[in-house]
Amino acid sequence: MALSLHAAFTVLLDALLTVVWAATGGGSFWPIWVWFGTAIPVAVHALVFDAVRRPRERHKALIVHAQATGLLVGIYIVIWALAGFGYFWPAWPTFALVAALGAHWIVAHRERLPQARERELVERVDELTRTRRGALDVQAAELRRIERDLHDGAQARLVSLTMLMGRAEERLDDRPEVAELVRRAREEASAAIGELRDLARGIAPPVLADRGLQAAVEALARRSLTPVTVEARIERRPPPVVETAAYFVAAESLTNVAKHGGGAAAHVTIEGDAERVVVEVTDDGPGGADPGGSGLTGLRHRVEALDGTLTVTSAPGATRVRAELPCGS
Amino acid sequence: MRVVIVEDNALLREGIVALLRERDVDVVAQAEDGPGLLRILAGHKPDLAIVDVRLAPSFTDEGLRAAIEARRRHPGLAVLILSQYVEPVYTAELLAEGEGGVGYLLKERVGDVRAFIDALERVAAGGTALDREVVAQLVEARRGGDGGALEALTPREREVLELMAEGRTNAAIARKMVVRPGAVEKHISSIFSKLDLPASDDDHRRVLAVLTFLQSGG
Repeated sequence: MALSLHAAFTVLLDALLTVVWAATGGGSFWPIWVWFGTAIPVAVHALVFDAVRRPRERHKALIVHAQATGLLVGIYIVIWALAGFGYFWPAWPTFALVAALGAHWIVAHRERLPQARERELVERVDELTRTRRGALDVQAAELRRIERDLHDGAQARLVSLTMLMGRAEERLDDRPEVAELVRRAREEASAAIGELRDLARGIAPPVLADRGLQAAVEALARRSLTPVTVEARIERRPPPVVETAAYFVAAESLTNVAKHGGGAAAHVTIEGDAERVVVEVTDDGPGGADPGGSGLTGLRHRVEALDGTLTVTSAPGATRVRAELPCGS
Repeated sequence: MRVVIVEDNALLREGIVALLRERDVDVVAQAEDGPGLLRILAGHKPDLAIVDVRLAPSFTDEGLRAAIEARRRHPGLAVLILSQYVEPVYTAELLAEGEGGVGYLLKERVGDVRAFIDALERVAAGGTALDREVVAQLVEARRGGDGGALEALTPREREVLELMAEGRTNAAIARKMVVRPGAVEKHISSIFSKLDLPASDDDHRRVLAVLTFLQSGG
């Protein structure tokens, strides 16, 4: 409304002065300067009016800046034209104004670029986390399958072999030196079975696969050389890969207590819900656990591969190994 | 001796059956899973059941659970667990339930036919036959640990204890250690007094008492 009034008033004024020019006998057409001079406030008014009315959008400041630049460049060109053309000096201020506008554009877009980059990186991290977790789950499942295959395959065949050799031995009573050879062969087969058993136990002890984390850690505690108490609250069975990692945290820590704890008592707490499993092993031994040692480093790798954290604090009378493992549902 | 066998691996089942038949052990029935054990027990009334730990459908400790259930349902049934691994926890569970002979051996022990048949007979007669691996793990567990009474045992006495837990008689222990039976008896009464266990004439109860002590300490 105000803008229309302003424009109407300007047109009226310009017309009036043109009439005055005509009435005073013409001559040099000076009203054109009046037109020009009064048009500028109208244009500025229009620009401000538009800037105020424009909704808040992403690059409002940049758009207003571009409009103002356009207006100024227009004014320069009109002045150049009114002044009788000649040397095109408006090129210089135009150049400066466009440079300022360019700088503004870069600043505005530099802000936007990292956002897009960041989004891309977040997506990539999500994807990597998911696929790594998938790979680990597959690996855990594969290891348990290998353990089962050993049990049902190679181990069973070796057991069958020892039975056959045992029967052969029985029939060689009259040839003791051959019977002795067969007995030695059977013992070799038994040793191979023992080695396969140790290998399978290293993948995951049978009681862990059979009964779960609490039973397996309790079995560890029962076998431990030092007194161990176990406290477990596990709401639901974690995925095998998490279960195995949690088990080895407890196993390695208890081995360390037995080795370096000087007979100290250890306490294991396990807390598990749908989201995570936390295993904590504390002992009142002499301390001095080395977080950079090979055992703890191995555990750290195992835990960190699952996006978990392993913290070790060790002081005389209080050593604590704590692993927090997300279940990654 | 009438025996039933529960083993899901056909190769091993047939191997054990062939070996037992050669030694005139009467294999009256075979099964492949836990429910199969309970079914054949009802029909055949065997002296002894030989049971694998890992069975269908879960392939975890089905066999052990079935054996425990079988001992509950058929008091006096002797059970010999054969497995490819030893788990002392499982031994404790097996011993905790019911009466009658109990054995827990690694499968490769079957190859030592004479010792295996001895173990079968011992278990069928109400005794025990625990794999030396089980005993070693249990004794190892207590050794140097909670300052327990086991530390007070001399190496000789510990050896006697391990042989006792395997289920051997005094005479067998004496033969194995190449000492007089009287010396074994002396070791045993010393073990009992050090472990603070009341003496008993019964081999089986004696071993159970020792094992119960070994397992309850943790």
